[in-house]
Amino acid sequence: MASNIIDILELVKVYKLSDEVSVRALKGVSLSVDRGEFLSIMGASGSGKSTFMNILGFLDTPTSGRYVLDGIDGSSLSSNEKAEIRNRKIGFVFQGFNLLSRTSALENVELPLMYKGGVTVREMREKARSLLSMVGLGGREHHHPNKLSGGEQQRVAIARSLINDPAIILADEPTGNLDTKNSNEIMDIFTRLNRETGITMILVTHEPDIAQYSDRKIVFRDGLIIEDGPIRKKAFKTGVVKARKG
Amino acid sequence: MNFKNSFLTAVRAINKNKMRSSLTSVGIIIGVSSVIIMVGMGNSARVAVRDRITTFGSNAMSVYQSKKPLVDRDLENLRRLYLVKYITPIVYDSYVPTVFQGKNMLSRIYGVNNDFFQIKEWVLQSGRYFTELEILSIGKVVIIGTTVSQELFGNVNPIGRTILIRNVPFQVIGVLTEQGSSFSGRDYDNVLIMPFTTAATRMQNQNFYDEIYIAAYSEDLIPETADAVRLYLRRVHNIPWGSPDDFKIKTSKEQLRVAEDISKTLAILLAGIALISLFVGGVGIMNIMLVSVSERTREIGIRMAIGAKRKDVLLQFLIESVTLSSVGGVVGITLGIGVYYTIIFFLKWPFIISPLSVLVSFLFAFAVGIFFGYYPAKKAADLKPIDALRFE
Repeated sequence: MASNIIDILELVKVYKLSDEVSVRALKGVSLSVDRGEFLSIMGASGSGKSTFMNILGFLDTPTSGRYVLDGIDGSSLSSNEKAEIRNRKIGFVFQGFNLLSRTSALENVELPLMYKGGVTVREMREKARSLLSMVGLGGREHHHPNKLSGGEQQRVAIARSLINDPAIILADEPTGNLDTKNSNEIMDIFTRLNRETGITMILVTHEPDIAQYSDRKIVFRDGLIIEDGPIRKKAFKTGVVKARKG
Repeated sequence: MNFKNSFLTAVRAINKNKMRSSLTSVGIIIGVSSVIIMVGMGNSARVAVRDRITTFGSNAMSVYQSKKPLVDRDLENLRRLYLVKYITPIVYDSYVPTVFQGKNMLSRIYGVNNDFFQIKEWVLQSGRYFTELEILSIGKVVIIGTTVSQELFGNVNPIGRTILIRNVPFQVIGVLTEQGSSFSGRDYDNVLIMPFTTAATRMQNQNFYDEIYIAAYSEDLIPETADAVRLYLRRVHNIPWGSPDDFKIKTSKEQLRVAEDISKTLAILLAGIALISLFVGGVGIMNIMLVSVSERTREIGIRMAIGAKRKDVLLQFLIESVTLSSVGGVVGITLGIGVYYTIIFFLKWPFIISPLSVLVSFLFAFAVGIFFGYYPAKKAADLKPIDALRFE
């Protein structure tokens, strides 16, 4: 088994818009990520970073290239096997939270475990409850998402992403809809998770301040990685994000 | 995800949209309850008709004349046949004005002899039958049905009183027990029964009979008896060999079969209409499920992103539609039985509920859920996770 959790070689994604017009969103991307790394992906919109994230999350399939996640080659998987990997290996955190409305926080967190199966309702409850209190939402288990603030909703989403003990967390602009204070709190949770449990974090953001939380930064432009290197940490560690435009 | 969890998910989704879910079920409820009501009514009607016809006497037959009238001589000759147990001529007259002390009504006359009561199995609740003398002497005596008794006499005892039938005074000598109504609504209790001689001469001024009722000694002897009657009438009427009869012999068995055929056809027709309404209910479910799938595309995307497989999504929506239709089925069965019982109660028909029809209705509702839920569910399951997730 490779020591790298992610091995990507010459990944290409072409969107066919019509018979004549096609867009090459990824033009041959190669990347390796170590276990326990905290990686941030940056780039302007249209640079290919979202396409890359979707492929990383087994939500989309590459046109060509090789993608190995935790020793599993993604190229020959059926849609059911992909669903299983999304369920067990990957925790998703989205910009728009993507919680089920009219479903309590607890039930939202339980959902991936429900699809995984093999546990009793009581065990499911227990685990979801402990994760919610870990992200600071103890006592709000039965609130529905529309009764929670953006920051709280994102915490629910984080708890949900963790319930099946995934190998990596993919966070796609997790602070994009949040104010400074909540952004910092969310990033603190991610940092803590990365440090304490050694979970691999992959974070997409366009804010340099948010990227500061990570250890390594790659930058996309026009479907290629143009920059890949460690973050030069600023003197202070917490409360990095000071002011945000608009 | 196991079945239990899929079920839980589906039930939660139904619960979140209570109003819509119950409205969706209404179609199925109406469909299933109408199946139950229609099938029940069909069965009850069949039994009601059979009961009515067998009161005519299960080993009886009737002879109609068509060209040559049936006359006194025929009656006397047929009576001599050793196969004939009872025989009565019948002279009909309908919508006859009947008056008692200023109260009047229209009734139906049967001119008969005393064998009529044996064949029809009609019994008197008070009074007496005709005497031989009254029949021979064209006696102006009458036995009345309960409707006539109630409308003309109320609480007064009618025995011995005189009523005017077509302005002819008649003495009431007996009152029948209640017979009920026929399927077509004819009231068997609105009758005036008098000696056939009286009906023929005083009422109709005719010297022939409209019909002759004959009872055989047993049900098995009916064909033989009918053959004997047929042979006799052909000889008397001088019908050459090979020519058709100029009379008709109808046994109650035949009548029973005709009635059964009619009511069976009716029952199938009614059940067919009910099935159509069930089908319409199914289309309603499909419609709502399609709306629901496109409304919840994003939810489907989220579920897929966190690990729902194709079959999980398929099962979730399928269970949702089957639950809607099955619950609708159970409610419909309950409602249907209630309505059916109420109708039957007022019609005084027998209450027949076959467990089979209940089971079939339920299974049908269940099948409707699967049939009409499958397409929307498949549509949901076939969504690509990334497309569903991006759906706004």
